[in-house]
Order: sequence, then C-alpha cells, then structure tokens
Amino acid sequence: MAECRRRWPVRMFLGLGVLLVAAGMTSSAVSAEDIAIRVQVKEQNRDESGKVDNQPVVGVEIVITDASGTEVGRGVTAEDGVVVVPVPGRADYTVELLEDSLPDGQSLSPQSPPVQSIAEDSFVTATKTLNFFTGESQRVTDTAFERVAQRFSDGFRLGLVLAMCAVGLSLIFGTTGLTNFAHGEMVTFGGLAAFVFNITGLTFLGFLDFLPGVYPDGRFHVIWATILAAVFGGLFGWALNAGIFLKLRRRGIGLVTQMVLTVGLSILLKNFFLSRFGGRTRPFREYSLQKALDIGPISITPRDLTVSIISIFILVAVALTLRYTRLGKATRAVSDNPDLASATGIDSERVIRLVWIAGGALAALGGVFRGLDEQVSFEMGGRLLFLMFAAITLGGLGSAFGALIGGIVVGVLVEMASLVVPTELKTTPALAILILVLLFRPQGLLGKAQRVG
Amino acid sequence: MDWSLIFELSLKGLIGINAVYFAIAAIGLNVQFGYTGLLNFGQAGFMACGAYGLGMTAHYFEISFWWGIPLGILFSLLLGLLMGIPTLRLRADYLAIVTIAAAEIIRLVVRSVRFKHYFGGSDGINRFAQPFREVGADFGIDQTQLYGFGPFTFTGRELWTMIVGWSLVALIGYLVYKLMKSPWGRVLKAIREDEDAVRSLGKNVYSYKMQSLLLGGVIGTISGMIFALDRGSVQPDNYSRDVTFYILTALVLGGVAKVSGSIIGPMLFWLIFTFLDNFLRQVADKPIKIGNFTIMQSTQVGQVNFMLVGLTLILLMVYRPQGIFGNRQEMAFDGR
Repeated sequence: MAECRRRWPVRMFLGLGVLLVAAGMTSSAVSAEDIAIRVQVKEQNRDESGKVDNQPVVGVEIVITDASGTEVGRGVTAEDGVVVVPVPGRADYTVELLEDSLPDGQSLSPQSPPVQSIAEDSFVTATKTLNFFTGESQRVTDTAFERVAQRFSDGFRLGLVLAMCAVGLSLIFGTTGLTNFAHGEMVTFGGLAAFVFNITGLTFLGFLDFLPGVYPDGRFHVIWATILAAVFGGLFGWALNAGIFLKLRRRGIGLVTQMVLTVGLSILLKNFFLSRFGGRTRPFREYSLQKALDIGPISITPRDLTVSIISIFILVAVALTLRYTRLGKATRAVSDNPDLASATGIDSERVIRLVWIAGGALAALGGVFRGLDEQVSFEMGGRLLFLMFAAITLGGLGSAFGALIGGIVVGVLVEMASLVVPTELKTTPALAILILVLLFRPQGLLGKAQRVG
Repeated sequence: MDWSLIFELSLKGLIGINAVYFAIAAIGLNVQFGYTGLLNFGQAGFMACGAYGLGMTAHYFEISFWWGIPLGILFSLLLGLLMGIPTLRLRADYLAIVTIAAAEIIRLVVRSVRFKHYFGGSDGINRFAQPFREVGADFGIDQTQLYGFGPFTFTGRELWTMIVGWSLVALIGYLVYKLMKSPWGRVLKAIREDEDAVRSLGKNVYSYKMQSLLLGGVIGTISGMIFALDRGSVQPDNYSRDVTFYILTALVLGGVAKVSGSIIGPMLFWLIFTFLDNFLRQVADKPIKIGNFTIMQSTQVGQVNFMLVGLTLILLMVYRPQGIFGNRQEMAFDGR
C-alpha cells in the first residue's frame, strides 16, 4: 500500500517536469509590411590610441533559417559589407555567417558568434540589424599578461559552472557507484526550464503578477527563473532517483546495466529538448547585452561578475555543508564506503535521495549560469559532460571536494589552452588531463588509493 | 497513408547499407562490451579512424586508395592503445569516460579549421571512393544502372557496397564466433565474469583486455570504411557520440554476447527506425494538436524517432538487459 501511495507524486513530478519544458514555443508570425534582416559584417581593428576602425567585409555569405530550421533566405555582403535579406514576417530567426566564406586570413572575433538568433519581438522596426565582427577586435593591443589574465578569469567562470555541475555527478557516483551519462541533460534541463519561465512564460501563473518581477503573461524575471529552475532541477533529480534508479537498486540490477540506461536517458532527453526548443541558441530576456567593466587587466560584464560571486557563495555553502553538518558527514561516509556507513546506522537511501536532489538542483543552476554566459541551447549540458568527467576524474571519483577543485582546474586549463591552440580545439587539454591523471594518479587528487588490479 | 511505400522502405532498412555498417560496428562493440565487459562508448572514434584513413589517401597523402585500409587500421590501433593503456587496469567506468572523451576530441580535431589541410575541415573529404567502385565495375556491376531485387531497387553503387558489406559481416561474424569459442575467447568471457579469478589463474588480464579493445576497434574501423565508401565521402559530424549510442542500442536490442544478436539487432533497429520514420512523417503531415498544444509536427519527426530509440534502450535495460536473443546470465556482470 505504502508503495502505491509513494508512486503518484513521482509520476506527477516527472509529468510536470516534462510539461514544463514542453510548454514550448508557439510563435505567431504577423506579416503586413516588408520585413527584412540587415546584416553588417565589419572588420574591427583598434589602433594604438584605442580608436576603433571598422572596415566592411565583402563577399560573406549569410544564411537565415526560421524556428523550424528551414532556410528562409540567404545573401552575400556587398561593397559596404551589408546585406539585406527579406524574411516572411516577424518571427524568431537564426542568422548564420558561413565562416568558410570569410576572406582569407580573417575570422570572427571571439565576441561575435557565427550563429546569432533574433527573437520575434526584437523587430522594433521592419528591418532588424545584426552585426558580425571579424578581426581581433578590442584585444589586438592587449599585452600577453592581459590576455593570460582575461583567459584565466574566463576559465575561472567556466570552472565555477563545471564545479557546480560536477559535484552532483561525483556524489551520485560516490554514493551509488553509478556514472550518470545523462548528467549533461540535467544541466540542459536547468537552462531550458529557466528559459521557459523567463521567455516563454506560463500563462496560468499570470495571477502571480502582484509579485515584483512577475509579469501578467506568466513570465518571470530571470532571477525568479533561476530560483525556479533550481527547484525544478532538484525535483527532476529526485524523480529520476525515485522513478528509475531506486527501483533498479531494489531489483539488484547491475551498475553496467544502469550505466547503459543513463545513455538511453541521455538520448531521450536530448532529443526531447531538441524537438521542443529547436536547434538554436537563445539568450535570456534580462542582462543579455551588457557593457563589460574593466577591472585591472580583466574585462567582465556585471552579469558575469555577479554570477561568479553567487557561484562562489553556493560552492562554499556546499563545501561547508558537506564538511560540518551531520547530513554532509553522512553523505561523505556513504560515498566513502556504503556498506560501512549502513552498518553504522546511516540511512543510505535517504542520503542517496538527497544527493540526487541536491545534484539535480546544482546541475540546473549550473545550466542557468552557463546559459546567462553563453546563451541556452538543447546541447549546452551535453557539451559540458566530458569536461565534467575530466573534472571529477582529476578530483577523484566520488569526492565532492575533488569535484569542486577539479572543475575549477579543468575550466581554467581549457580556457587558458585557447592561448596556444585554436579556440575550436580548446577542450583537447581535458582529454590530456584525463589520460595523464589515469596514468599517474588514477585515484585523482583527493581520491583514496585503492588496489584495482 | 501509403502503406506499401512505408513497408518497402522499411524492408530496405532491414538489409540496407545502414544495417551493414551498424552490424559490423556492433560486432566490434560486442567483442568489447558483450564478451569482455569493456564499456567502449567511443566506437564512433574507431569508425572515424577507418573513414579518415581512406579519405586521407586522396586528400592529404595522395597515394593509392588501397593504402587507406592499413592506414585506417593503424590509426585505430593507435587510438585503442591511447585509450586502453591508461584505463584498462582500472574500473570499467574509466574506459567509458575516456572513450567518450577521445571520440569527441577526434571529431573536433578532424572538423577543425586548423587541420583542414589534413582532414578537410567541416566539409570532410569527398571523391576518393572511385577505385573501390571500379572493382565493382570489374565484377560486372554497373554503378549507374538500377538493379531490381524482388520489391527492392538499388543503384549499382549501393548494390556493390552492400555485397561487399554483407560479405564482410558474414566473414567477421564467423571469425568472431570461432574466436569466442576458442580458449582465447573463453578467457575474455571469464574476465567479464570475474577478473580476479582469471588473474589468479595466471592470465595477464590487462593484455587480454587490450587485445579485445583493439580487435573490437579494428572491426569498428572496417565499419567506418564501409560507411565512407557507401557515401563516397567522410563527414566529421557522422562520427558523433550519438552514433556510438545508437549502435549500442542496436546491439543491446539484438542481444549481447551473441554474434547473431549483434547482426540481427542492427537489422531490426533499422527496420523499426525506417518504419517509424516514414510512418510518423505521414502521420505528422499536418501538425498533431491537442487544443493549442502541438504534440508533433513534421519537423519534429526525426527527434521523436530518436527519443523512441532512447526509450527503447531504457526499457531494454530495465526489462531485458540481455536483449532479444541474449542470455540473461551474460549480462549480469557488474562494473565495480
């Protein structure tokens, strides 16, 4: 009987989580006037005195696709570096600059992604203008020290996100022995859930508009959206444990089987996200365009600075909880040796449940923070997965503190690597870390050496 | 609804080139995962080795096409050593993590602008398969002509690749079947069941695991070659993580630790996949809605289909981890 009663909330929350993201996008296009997208491609150089000099870039090919991924127009920039492409109406579009069509020796500047998205409501007039910049932009005259410092700060930000995502992955591994290949999708879940609250809006929650930051159409300010995403991320983690993994453990199903199951879960979730969200990357409503502050050698937007500070607070809180509270000690005990922990009277299932909830919430938060930094997409988490694996392997599988340190080290190394290798290959050091750690210190920095063969 | 078209295409999926290259890759994965218990989540990386081995003969080395075969195998042996040396002494998960990472890095490297000179960047490499097709012509298969086969028609190009492909499936399948019956194969299965017991019998477990990883990898490489030859091109994004996962699903569907399972699984996978793809496409011709909420429209068919792949894998793992033809005892091993 108890079993039956316990089941319905699991299903409800699984369903709710699914509906939440599924409340997707229904865009309505209005076309009365001639709507067009004007794309400017400029080569940006800054001279010694800091003055910016823009040169038009000719012959660059632009492709515009609509929300369903269908191409609606393309064009090539003219002598003035401008191309105007008519589109069917006001709607969400993705504008891609084909990097292969750039003149030899030119590449897009790091601040200017090759794919930019236009939201329906950003058409203030009939023509929407987008800019792409090539060349080294502002960073041409930077000293080596400034470049290193900037990369370090970018890497530290990435590292904070990685650490936040990886703690859950490592603790789930530690307490249950499961390597969760769907953890990346838990990160994406957070980013997309926040997006749904922030941009799509849930109309039936419109009555909450008496609260500051909640709008009558059921949209939430990104701060609300972040909190809600973390809550739903926790519920999602709990539901995964209660709905799937708890049952598999009770039935004594082997870890390899469970691991392959997480692979299936990852395929399922990733394609679900893709089908509901589409293939583009999109920003949150608030704080998406900000002017960077210059702090010493580093330039950082107020948004990223705030997010970093909040991340540090959260990670310190996690570390302190694990270190000093009874619950944290119990978690570490189970992670260290589940059998021994059970023998001392720790309710290991309760600990595992809490680890899934906390891991899910932290992964979701990591997803929102990554989304604030780099926009939201259906594979944002999947892309981080192997960096997270590198982080927890470096820190020691199953060690939460290891995941925190490993995450930050991997983040910094990956960003710093882009000083020496091309940006597109900056994640390669993560593989090198993995291989070197496994060769020379397989237990990781903070792991406990075990005889394995 | 055009049922005859749906069934025709589905049956073509059953014996088509997709089933061939999945079957070869699955046999390789089965050697590692099914027989030895090694979690190779980077089979796509091995496949890329084969495909790029062939492609680079024309694009970079400018040597005879046939050198591509030993070259691809050499690449995959190197990849296998790179992934195996650090991980095979450790728990099973580490291999999974390293293989997934290595396959991803391979994809990034071959599609990068920096190494475009070697690998052709994101456009990949085209037009290198001509010598292979000429051999087909020597056997009397006209590459441009259509060949009817009961309900199916194939172009000569497809037919030739399929003949070579299915012959390879049969040959490799037979070899693996014999190998697994041999004392060598019994050691692999024993390692899967209990590594320590095998070690205490004086066997070098590390070396056996490495041999299994390399053998499975080389078979995966051959699969990548067949795929590249069929397309006549090598595209980096055909070797993503998802490909490995779909092959794993196909293998598990058929049954682990059985050669027959690793051949029938991919055939069934593509039969069902092609059927659903065409069926859903016709169903979702008009968007399916409940009220204002769109459940599915035609652009989402592909994703819904892949969601079903994921769901199939989940359900298989919960209810029948050994697959349709597998033996439950052979999937009872534990990574710890």
